Amino acid sequence: MSIEAIPADKPKRNYNVLFGLTLLALLVLLWIVLSLATPSFASGNNIANLLRQGSMIAIMAVGQTFVIITGGIDLSVGAVVGFATVVVAMLINAGVPIALAILITLLVGVAIGLFHGFGIVKMGLPPFIITLATLTSLRGIGLLMTNGNSININSDSFTAFSRNSFIGIPNLFWMVILVGVPAYIFLHHSRWGRYLFSVGSNAEASRLSGVNVQRTIYMAYTLSGLCAAFVGVLLAARIGIGNPTQAEGWELQAIASSVIGGTSLFGAVGSVHGPLLGAFILATINNGANLLNVNSFWQRIITGALIIIIVYFDGLRRRGK
Amino acid sequence: MTPTAQELHPAPMLEPGRTILELRGLEKRYPGTHALKPVNLAFKSGEIHAIVGENGAGKSTLIKLLTGVMPRTSGDVIWEGKPAALATPHEAMALGINAVHQEVVLCRHLTVAANMFLGEEESRFGILQQRAMVRQAQTIIDDLGFDLPAHVVLGDLTIGQQQLIAAARATVRGTKFLIFDEPTAYLTRKEADQLFTLIRRLKSEGVTIIYISHRMEEVFELADRVSVLRDGTLVGTRTIAETNDAELVKMMINRSIEQVYHKEHFTPGAAIVEARNLSGKGFEDISMTVRAGEIVGLYGLIGAGRSEFVTSLYGRHRRSAGQILWEGRPVQINSEHDAIKLGMALAPESRRDQGLCLNLPVGLNLNLPIYKRISNNLLISNAKEKAEADRQIAGLRIKTPTRGALASSLSGGNQQKIVIGKWLAHGAKLFIFDEPTVGVDVGTKAEIYRLFGELLSKGAGIILISSYLPEVYELADTLHVFRRGKLVATHGFHTASHEDILTQALAEKQEKMGGQT
Repeated sequence: MSIEAIPADKPKRNYNVLFGLTLLALLVLLWIVLSLATPSFASGNNIANLLRQGSMIAIMAVGQTFVIITGGIDLSVGAVVGFATVVVAMLINAGVPIALAILITLLVGVAIGLFHGFGIVKMGLPPFIITLATLTSLRGIGLLMTNGNSININSDSFTAFSRNSFIGIPNLFWMVILVGVPAYIFLHHSRWGRYLFSVGSNAEASRLSGVNVQRTIYMAYTLSGLCAAFVGVLLAARIGIGNPTQAEGWELQAIASSVIGGTSLFGAVGSVHGPLLGAFILATINNGANLLNVNSFWQRIITGALIIIIVYFDGLRRRGK
Repeated sequence: MTPTAQELHPAPMLEPGRTILELRGLEKRYPGTHALKPVNLAFKSGEIHAIVGENGAGKSTLIKLLTGVMPRTSGDVIWEGKPAALATPHEAMALGINAVHQEVVLCRHLTVAANMFLGEEESRFGILQQRAMVRQAQTIIDDLGFDLPAHVVLGDLTIGQQQLIAAARATVRGTKFLIFDEPTAYLTRKEADQLFTLIRRLKSEGVTIIYISHRMEEVFELADRVSVLRDGTLVGTRTIAETNDAELVKMMINRSIEQVYHKEHFTPGAAIVEARNLSGKGFEDISMTVRAGEIVGLYGLIGAGRSEFVTSLYGRHRRSAGQILWEGRPVQINSEHDAIKLGMALAPESRRDQGLCLNLPVGLNLNLPIYKRISNNLLISNAKEKAEADRQIAGLRIKTPTRGALASSLSGGNQQKIVIGKWLAHGAKLFIFDEPTVGVDVGTKAEIYRLFGELLSKGAGIILISSYLPEVYELADTLHVFRRGKLVATHGFHTASHEDILTQALAEKQEKMGGQT
């Protein structure tokens, strides 16, 4: 009989699903309470608005989660979003076809991710440092490119996309599904997903088992950069401008969503549905606070407190079980 | 005049032979398992009491209960005649119960002195008295006869030396009851001797020592009494004079000692790998051949360059010179990937650092090398993933509730089976086992040795690294002895005596260590 094998460890996947369900319950609870407390919350308009607000952070949080699972962190995502709005705005205004402009912007995101991978794998820099460096540099490059001005995008068909809906659901939310489903399959049903977890758990053991650790790290940061650039495109469409100072502090919201969604900052623990739910919980709190006329300064404090509470209870439950 | 360690930390004057700690019906249940069935046992002050048993027999549970790390389910602990709750580690330490663990749990980045005084630093007006602490720590270390500096950073010492510091730390805190959990697993013979000297000295001061080890000869060298645990039950306690190896092993496993070292001889086939004058960091000019159906044993002290040699062969570290022939053809091995592709598999030295993803499921660990095979271009086949994991779990008899349990929740022996199991699933022509039985119980050892036989019969070759001489001596067809990065001697099966091999491994090292400061 092996003693240590006892502490009724449920299979991890079940546990993840369970945690996902409690988060979903929390989200539903918030919605019910807010519907009762304010007349406007449950209106179609507000829900659509809420989904738009949450979508962009949700997509960033998915990319961020890949990185955190490997035991890293990507602080640059907010800056990548801002930078991507500039790139896509300039391309469209220069007459590049919209599809091509979007593709090029996404490739810029990929390039930034590859650069992070290079800095970590080849130069041996800690992820925190290399992505912090890009965070500040990208903002600077964007400001240089625009001379500090905003670029108005002169394409209605591009900006219309973010306002429109498809079968009653805002297009932006469809984008979450567009990213979320392949991300789920990638993380939970492909071997590259398994490698993300194994590298985050023990890089040396993975390496000795034949896992290409360097490629796995490149992949995580590339996907995070790609998700952020994609969000940049969506944001540009939504606000109709390219501005390098947009999305200030979004990296922290993405990280918070991921952590609320059960991702461990120590690596090797995380899912795709968790950060998605986390992002919409945060969006709901902000939306609800607005409707309840809570001072926006208080909103930040509440968000902070909530992160502490949710992660604390998650930690308790992990230790308890 | 410098004060001695004793004056600084006067040892408690204990009357030898009196019962210091008594367990009455001590019991521990986890949901689903009875880890420790009611144990009645009395420890006398000033005795060295060895506890032996297979992994999972209940030894670690017993330690955790005694050190207050976990609460007991029922039963009483009587400390010096009075019931003790032992609800927290702090309470245990306050009574004088301390433990030295197999893996060093100290701060690697602090100095030796800082570690020894950790938690009870000396300060004046809030300012640390660093120099005074270094001086006192040095006095204690010198007094114990360890030839180690107190001012260096702990991480700069070898694992064995760190272990000695951990032991020294435990002795200066008014300890009356000290538990050693497999302290010699990573020690050289000389370090182990120093540790034994310390243990005997503590005994003479009236301290009770609980000594947990898988190495029988240590038990017989040190202990006064020995208790055997099996499946959570205390099978019996013997005074050391009235028992022997064979009896203890039988109590532990219900199996005789001859069956442990299972050796099958095969006629060696063609050469699988040939290393010619390989050099790299930590080893120099090593040449050897491994043929199909043979076990090549590498014996030496820890740090003799054996692990460095095999990890280089495996492509993990760079080589500075030499050539590798694989099945007669020269090959370039620049990464682990190249090695695995040729047909090499490595079960590395440290399960925790190199072997396992501890906070991930058993199944994922087992399948890690073969995910490519069990997925099509894009997706993993769930059915194959389950089947492969369950096949290894059943085949190796890995004791785990499900394939989804975390690797960290398994005992040492079962974790080692995972490390080996992942390569069985993958398949290889050359298996490299680096210290495969450290911290592994007798029963699992026997299973691992039998597995070697199976691999050989299928035409594989094995490199076996061990710092435990009886193991390589009984199993290796060819035995290479390493010393300070060089291959110093080669023997056939049972062609040299234990003494000769040990001398070859030690010789120069001992002269060198004498002059170390």
